[in-house]
Amino acid sequence: MSPDTKPILSVHKLVKRFGGFVALDGLSFHAAPGEVLGLVGPNGSGKTTAINVISGLYAPDGGEVAFDGASIGGVASHKLVHRGINRTFQVPKPFMSLTVRENVRVALAYGHIGGAPPALDALLDEYRLASVADRPAADLNSAQQKMLDLVRALATRPRLLLLDELAAGLNPAELDWIAERIKQLAAGGMSIIVVEHLMGFIEHITDRVIVLNAGREIFEGKLAAAVKEPQVIEVFLGGEHAA
Amino acid sequence: MPNAVKHVLFILVPLIAVFAVLPGLYQNHLLLFNFVTFLILAQGVNIIYGFTGYLPFGYVGFFGAGAYGFAVLVMHYQSPALVAVLAAGLVGVLLGLLLTPLLRLSGAYFAIANLAASLAVLHLVANPALEGITKGPYGVSLTGTFNPSHAYYAALVVLTLTVGGVVFLKNSSFGLALQAVREDSVSASMAGVNVVKMRIAAWLASALVAGLAGGIYAWYVSVFYPDNVFSGEFSIFAIVFALFGGVATISGPIIGVLILYGVYNLIGFTTPQYFQLIYGLLIMGLVLFLPAGLVSLATRRGWHVP
Amino acid sequence: MLTYALVAGVLFGLYFSLVGMGLNLVFGVMRIVNLAHGDVLMLGAFVALGVVALAGIDPLFAVPLAFMVFLLVGMLLYWVLVPRLQGSANPEMLSIILFFGLSQVVEAITTIFAGTSERSIQSRLLGTVFSTIKVQLFGGKPETGPIRILGQGFPAPWVIAAGTSLVAIGLVYVYLYRTRLGTLTRAVMSRRDEALASGIDVDRVSAAAFGIGLGLAAVAGVFAPFMFGSITPAFGADATVTSFAIVVLGSLGNPLGTALGGVVYGVCYMLVQTYLSSWADLLPYVLLILILLLRPSGLLGRRVRVA
Repeated sequence: MSPDTKPILSVHKLVKRFGGFVALDGLSFHAAPGEVLGLVGPNGSGKTTAINVISGLYAPDGGEVAFDGASIGGVASHKLVHRGINRTFQVPKPFMSLTVRENVRVALAYGHIGGAPPALDALLDEYRLASVADRPAADLNSAQQKMLDLVRALATRPRLLLLDELAAGLNPAELDWIAERIKQLAAGGMSIIVVEHLMGFIEHITDRVIVLNAGREIFEGKLAAAVKEPQVIEVFLGGEHAA
Repeated sequence: MPNAVKHVLFILVPLIAVFAVLPGLYQNHLLLFNFVTFLILAQGVNIIYGFTGYLPFGYVGFFGAGAYGFAVLVMHYQSPALVAVLAAGLVGVLLGLLLTPLLRLSGAYFAIANLAASLAVLHLVANPALEGITKGPYGVSLTGTFNPSHAYYAALVVLTLTVGGVVFLKNSSFGLALQAVREDSVSASMAGVNVVKMRIAAWLASALVAGLAGGIYAWYVSVFYPDNVFSGEFSIFAIVFALFGGVATISGPIIGVLILYGVYNLIGFTTPQYFQLIYGLLIMGLVLFLPAGLVSLATRRGWHVP
Repeated sequence: MLTYALVAGVLFGLYFSLVGMGLNLVFGVMRIVNLAHGDVLMLGAFVALGVVALAGIDPLFAVPLAFMVFLLVGMLLYWVLVPRLQGSANPEMLSIILFFGLSQVVEAITTIFAGTSERSIQSRLLGTVFSTIKVQLFGGKPETGPIRILGQGFPAPWVIAAGTSLVAIGLVYVYLYRTRLGTLTRAVMSRRDEALASGIDVDRVSAAAFGIGLGLAAVAGVFAPFMFGSITPAFGADATVTSFAIVVLGSLGNPLGTALGGVVYGVCYMLVQTYLSSWADLLPYVLLILILLLRPSGLLGRRVRVA
C-alpha cells in the first residue's frame, strides 16, 4: 500500500472487558483500502474480539472505532453491513435449513443500499458453490460452509471485509486458490483484515501484520520483520506454539 | 406462473371456497366455525414459530384478550360487531407490544414466559376486583350482537388474510429473512437484516391474527367465561396442529388442522379422558418420530412442499 | 400478622424449593423442559393417598416409597424418550411439546383410574410416626395440633414438609458435591459438549439426574395434599407453572439456587395472600415474567440467557 492512502478503518485505544477479563486493552491500528492486513497473536490475545467489536457484535467499553472517518463503536451490526463492513465467522453459521441460493438471497436483499447487487450465480460459481446451489446449507461440508459464509458477506458489497480463520481446515490446493481470491478482492479496492493461525498463509497474502498480545498491539509491519522481533518471539514461544 | 400466484390459486382459493360453501351442505356449523378458528390459529403459530422459531406457548393470551376486547366494546360502548372485531385485533397487537420484551428471551425461556403471560392475563380478566369492566369470573353474555353466520364469514375473511400472509412470507425476501433470523440471528444481522425489527413484526402479526380470531369467537359464541377463551387447549392445539403438518410451509398447518381436528371430532367428546390419552400419545409420537411434521415425509424424498 | 406471614412464607418456601428442585435438575443437566413435572407431583400425592388408604400408616412412609418408585420410572423414561429427543434438530423446544404430551397421558390415565373428584388426607395423620415414637420413649399423650414458632401456631404438616424439604435439599447438595456421579453431573451441567468429548458417560449421568428429578418431584407430591388442601388429577398443570416460577427465580440450571428461589417465592406468596389476597393468583406469573425480563439468569445465576 502507499503510505499516504487515507485509512478506511482506524481503531484507537480500543477496550473491551468481559466481567473481570480484559480482552482488548487499548488496541490501536488502522487499515487502508486495497490492503490485506493480518491480525496475529496467541489464543486469547484479542484477535476475534477485535473483529467482533469492529463488526458490531459487541459494543466497545472504551476507545474508538472509526470507519470512513465516522465513529461506529456500538452501532448495530446490520447498520454496519449497510455502511460497508462485513465478516466471516471462525465457525461458519449459515442458515442451515435454507438452500445455498436462499442463504445468499437474504444478504442480496437486505445487505446493501444502492448500486447494482452482485450477480448471484456468478458469485456461487466463483466460490465453487454452483453445484450445491439448491441444497440446504446443512448438507455442505465445512469448507463449503466457509465459502458460503464468505459469499454471504461478499453479497453485501463490503468495502471492509474481516476474515476470521477462513483458511483453517482447507487443504493446500484450496488454500492457494482462496489466497488468490483474497488478493484479487483487495486489488479491487477492498480492505481486508485476516485473522489466521497459519503463518505461511499470512505471509503469502498480507501486506502488513499487527501482532497482538493480551489485548494490545506489540508489533506492526511485515511478518518477515515480526518474526525477528524478540518480544514477538517471546509471546509466541512463551505462550502457545501457534506458528 | 410465479409461485405466489400458484400458492394462492391452488391452496388459498380452494380452501376458502370449500369453507364458504360447506355451511350450506353440512349442519354442524359450530364444528365448521371451530375448524376455521383453528386454521387461523395454526397459521398464526406458523408465522411466529415456523418463521422465527419462537414457540408461543401462551398464544391463547392474544385470543382471550381479543375475545374480551370484543366483549368490553360491545358491553360498554354498544359497538357494532365488526368494529368490535377490529378492536379485538388491536387488543391483540397491544398485548403483543406489551410483551415484546419477552422476545429477548430464547428457547424454553420464551415459551415459559409466554405461557406465564397468558395466565397472568387470564387471572387479570377473571379477577373479581375487575367485575365492573370484565364481569370477572362470572362470564359475559353478548346477546345483542349474536349472529353466527356473519361471524363465520368474518372468520373466513381473517383466514384469507392469514393464509395470504403466510403465502407472502413463503414467497418474499421478508419471509426468507425471517427464517434466516430463526436459523442464526448473528449471521442474519451480518446479512444486513434488522433482527429485532423482523422479530417484532412477526410477533405482532401473529398477535393480530389471534386477537381477531378471539374477537370473532366471542361474536360467534356470545356467552363465555374467562376459562373458555383463555383455555390452554387453544395454544396447545394450534401448536400441535401446525407442527403435525409441518411449520414454515403454507400447506403444513392446513393439513395438520384438517387431519388432527378431524380425528379429534371423530373420536368425540363422550369420554374426555380417553381422548386426552390418545391425544397425549399422538403428541409424543409426533415429536419422537416425525418432529418436522407430515410434510417432512415428502421433503425427505426431495419433493418440494409449498 | 407479619410474623405469621413471614414464618409461614419460609415454611412454604422450603417446601416450594423441593417442588422446583427436580425440574431444575432435569433442565440443568439435559436442557429439557419437563412439562410433566407437575404431574409427577400429582402422582406422588396419589402414592401418599394409597399408603394411607391401603396400609393406614403415616403418609411419611410414602416419602421413601415415592422416591424409589419414581427414581426407577424416571431412569426408564429417560432411556425411552430422551436419547431420541436429543437427536432431533431442536431438542429444547421439542421437549416442551413431548413432555406436554406425556403430562396429558399421565393426567388421562390417572383420571381413568381415580376419577376427577378432589381428594385429601386428614392432616393429623402426617407425622403420627413421630408422636408414636415420642410416646413410646417418653410416655405421655400423643400431641396433635399446631406447632408453635415465634409465638405463632402453624399446622404440623407445614413444619414437617419444610423439614423434609430441608433434608432433601441437603441430600441433593451431598450428591452433587460429595459423590463421583454428582461431580460428573455438574460437569455435564456446565458444558454438555465438553463432557461428551472428555468421555463422560453423559447418558448414564443424565438418566440418574432424570430419575432423581422425578423422585424429588414425587416426594414433594406426597406433601401436596397437606400444603394445598386437596388434590385432583388436573393439579399437575398449575404445579408445573408454579415450579417454573420458583426455578427461574432461583436460577435455571442451578439446582441449589432453587432453594433460594423457593423461599423468596414462599415469602412473597404468603405476603400477597395476607395483604392482597384477591391478586394472589397473579403472583407466580407476574413474578416469573419480571424475573425473566429483569434478571434472566435468576437471583443466583451467572449465565445470561438472551436471544
